[in-house]
Formats: sequence, structure tokens, C-alpha cells
Amino acid sequence: MSAVAATESSRFSVVAGEIAKLPAFIRRDFLVAWSYRASFFSDWFGLLFGALMFYFVGRMVDPSALPSYGGTRAGYMEFVSIGVALGAFIALALRRVAAAVRGEQLMGTLESVLLTPTSPATIQIGSVVYDLLYIPIRTGLFLLFIGIAFGLHFEVGGVLPATLALLVFIPFVWGLGVASAGATLTFRGGSAGIGAGVTLLTIGSGAFFPLQLLPSWIATVAEYNPMTLALEGMRRAIIGGEGWSAVAPKLMLLAPMSAASLAGGILVFRLAMRRERRRGTLGMY
Amino acid sequence: MHRFEAKVALDGVSLAVEAGEIRALLGPNGAGKTTLLRILAGLVFPTAGHIRIGGLDPSANPLALRRRVGLIPAGDRSFYLRLSGFENLVFFGRLHGMRRKRAAARAGELLARVGLAEAGHRRVNAYSHGMQKRLSVARALLIDPAVLLVDEATHDLDPEGARRVRTLVQEIAGTGAAVIWATQRVEEVRGFVDGVTLLHEGRVRFAGSVADFLAHSVPQRYLLRVRNGRVRRELKPALQQALAGLGAIEAVGDPKAESYLLALAEGAVLGDAIASLSRADFKVIACREERSEIEDAFLEFTKPSGEISP
Repeated sequence: MSAVAATESSRFSVVAGEIAKLPAFIRRDFLVAWSYRASFFSDWFGLLFGALMFYFVGRMVDPSALPSYGGTRAGYMEFVSIGVALGAFIALALRRVAAAVRGEQLMGTLESVLLTPTSPATIQIGSVVYDLLYIPIRTGLFLLFIGIAFGLHFEVGGVLPATLALLVFIPFVWGLGVASAGATLTFRGGSAGIGAGVTLLTIGSGAFFPLQLLPSWIATVAEYNPMTLALEGMRRAIIGGEGWSAVAPKLMLLAPMSAASLAGGILVFRLAMRRERRRGTLGMY
Repeated sequence: MHRFEAKVALDGVSLAVEAGEIRALLGPNGAGKTTLLRILAGLVFPTAGHIRIGGLDPSANPLALRRRVGLIPAGDRSFYLRLSGFENLVFFGRLHGMRRKRAAARAGELLARVGLAEAGHRRVNAYSHGMQKRLSVARALLIDPAVLLVDEATHDLDPEGARRVRTLVQEIAGTGAAVIWATQRVEEVRGFVDGVTLLHEGRVRFAGSVADFLAHSVPQRYLLRVRNGRVRRELKPALQQALAGLGAIEAVGDPKAESYLLALAEGAVLGDAIASLSRADFKVIACREERSEIEDAFLEFTKPSGEISP
């Protein structure tokens, strides 16, 4: 019995030791991002100019063509701002998660990290933990800023359910990114597929226009697009103020998809890493 | 054994290094040196065979192994170039399980030890090759390694930079670390390492002491410029006669350059040969060693299979 307790205690201390390494990755990636200040700020300007463009496009859109949430008919700017935020989130997160390991491989630092007593799972998480913290913060700040700048009506009570929808959606994006990182390790290229995948997911999610505008069979399929589920959950919460009861069914559908995506992604990445180490080509680019 | 698809990169390689010993791993490009180091570091899995480092099997205990093995990789691509040397060391220290304060203190100590205290807060992309190599040494020292693997640490350094790196590695060996020093700079062998293992085409072609290695050297050769006013075609027989059995002489290159290759006979010394030429009224206006005896030993072992002298 005491041997079991000792083993569990030792396992706990190993896990705690691994978690304690994550702030080092966050600091590293923050310092690297901050060293590219122009890129850091131009990302924000790009996002804000995009919002301005949608503001003028929204003035041409007939509000009656837009769906209503919780009895509230959304304005186009309210409708699209959440789509823009989530679209930017998925594009950025997917690109960075997929590129993180490849970037380390190109810089030659992947092997340096693998030479430390750090588990592969910590390296995977560590390579994206900064982005997975920064990008949701960026998404939230974006919504707050344009909400104030364009006088949009968002329900404050919907922030927590919307945040939960975003959190449940993150493992889905992460899984795709990690799978793509595995493919990139193996084929040395492969990030081209990310752009096409993001576009397809975004178009078929109702991020920029209501799904009802699509042919009916595509609209039916698109309702099960994980991005649609996250978007609908966020819109119902933030625009309609519908609260937890309206968001929960969407999250119940989204959660298993996210879990499957993450598990599949990690499996693909591990197989790719193992293959590279067996072939001795991990450091080649 | 390790295979890269159809090519066998290492075959039947056996290597034992004692604590405090520096062992040179010599070999030409493609001999398998880097592959062997990467297997020892746990970065590549061998196709067959087994390895024990301090009793540990890298494939069975990868994390335990990494607490004991340091690697100084070849090339410069192993640091975050946008971070300072100090921040790089702190990051890798934290991945070795140190708390930030401890990692920062250790980074400061090591930067001072490798002579980078002043440059520690500059970005690594502003470092010279030599500075990056010393930073690599500092990183390998974060854990006080029991085994230090060094891959071509001096191949792109100037003589002073190379000397500093060798001195640091000697200090590490002095603390009891077993060092494997992979290189193709054969002149580094003398006075620096304790033993030599020479790899060629993935196989060990020599393993032993430096003295044993040098015993395989072939007669020394010197490039001479000789003048005595006669036309060149008459010079060679006269030179050969003047040498009186101390060596063989061959004309080299352009006849007007008056250059000859002197291969000393076994046991003959250069001074006697030149004195002999001078007595015969030849003026030796330049003389340089064509290739070191160590290089000769290296080339002797890396001849195609079956050509090694007994």
C-alpha cells in the first residue's frame, strides 16, 4: 500500500515538475514575440482595419436577413464581429501551433530542447502555451475594443458562457494544429493545407454571413461544423444573452469533437516524432 | 548499428570511455561520428545493438540519461537567436528542472566561466561563432554532465577560439566527466586527448592511445624549393644522388617554380637531408611540411578497405 502511495507521490512530483516548466516556455515566446515589436503591433492594426471594413459592409446589409438570438435581432456588426474574432483566432492559433515545432526544427532548437529531461508532452504543450493564452486574450480585447468603438450591444452576462465555448473549442484547433505539425515534421512542408482548411471551416461556419444563405444541404452539414457550434454558442451568449442553457447543447456536441481532434492530433504528432528519431532525420530541414 | 534507409551508418561500433578521459572520435565526413553522438544523446534510436551510459540505456531511460549527458552540437543552429545568451541559458536551465532564481544564478556563473559575462545580455544573433560555441559549452555545463559529447566544436573557429573551447573541455574532463570529442581536425589529437577511436564508413578502424595511432604514420613529406643554377631536368637525378639514401625526391608543378617533394626514408630526419643537399651545392630556399604525420595516420586508416598497412 505504501509502495503504491510512494509511486503516486513520485508520479505527482514528476507531473508538477513538468508543469513548472511551462512558464519558461511562456517567457521565451513572449520575449521572442516582443523582439518583433513591429509585427506585434501590425497584427493589431490589421485586425482593427478589418473591423472597420466590416462596419461599412454592414451598412449595406439588410438586418432582416440576419438571425435573431434570444429574441434580439443582431446588427451585422455585432453578428460579424464574433465571426471575425473567432476566424482570426482559428487562423492564428492553427498557423502558430502548426508552425511552432517546425520553427524549432528550422532554428535547430528542437534537438536542444529534446536534450533536456523534458517529456514530449510538455514540449508539445510548451511550444504553444503562449499562443493559447495570448490568442484568447487578444480575441477578448478585440471584442471589447470594437464593442466600445462601434457602440455594439453585447450582453455582459454572456461573457462567461462565451468564454467557456471558446475554451471548449481550443482543443479542436489545437488538435488540428498538432496533426499539421506532425505532417510538417514528416513532409517538411505541408502548412499550405492549413490555409485551405481554415478558409473551408470559416466559410462553412457562418462567421461572416448567415448559414441560411448557403444551399440547404450544405447549411445542414455546416451546422455540425465545430466552428459553427462555437460561434453559435458565443453569439447566443453575447448577443442574445441566452445564458448557460442555450450554450450547453452546443458545447455537448463540440466537446467530443474537440477531444477527438486533440487525441488524433497528438497521436499523429507522436508517430511523426518517433519516425523522425528512428530515421535520424529530426534535425534535418 | 544504425541504418539510414538502405545505408548502414554505423556497424559493430564499440566504444568505452572512462570518467575523466577525453577520447577523440576521428573520421572523415560521413564516417558516422555525428550519428554515433546523436545515438548516445538519445536523439536517434539505433536500429540494433545496445548502449549503456553510466549503466543507463538511452532508449529505456531517456529522461534519466538527459540529466547526465551534455552535448555540444556542431554548427550554430541550437539557440534562440532573438534571446540573449543569459535568457537562453535560463530557459534551458529551467527545462533541466531548476527554479528561475537558481537557473538565473547558474546562467550568470557559467557565462562568467566561459568568458561571456559581458556579452551575456546581448542577443545571440550578435554573437560570433566562437562566442556561440562557448555558450554551447556553458549550456552543456548547466547539469555538470557525467558524459560530455562534443561534435566538431572547433571546425569553424579561429585558432584562439578553438584553443579556448579545448581548454574549457579539458577543465570539464578534469572534474571527472567522460568526454567524447568528435572531430576531423586530426592535429587536435596530440596533447589534448587521451585516446583515439577512428571511424570510417561506420566501422571502427582504430581504437587506442595517441602514441599507438601515431605509430601508424607513414614517412614524412616536405615541399622544397631548391636552386643551384642548372636547368631543371638535370636537377632531379642530381638531387636524388645528393640525398644519399635519406629520401626520395620528385619534381612538382611548374618547372620554373623549382619545387620538389621530398619523402624522407624511414628513420631519416629533415635536417640531415637538407645538410646533405647543401653540401652538394644546392640552395634550399623554402621548405614546408606537406602534411602532418597525424594526417598521414588518419589517411592510412581511412583508405578503402583492405589497403591498411600492417
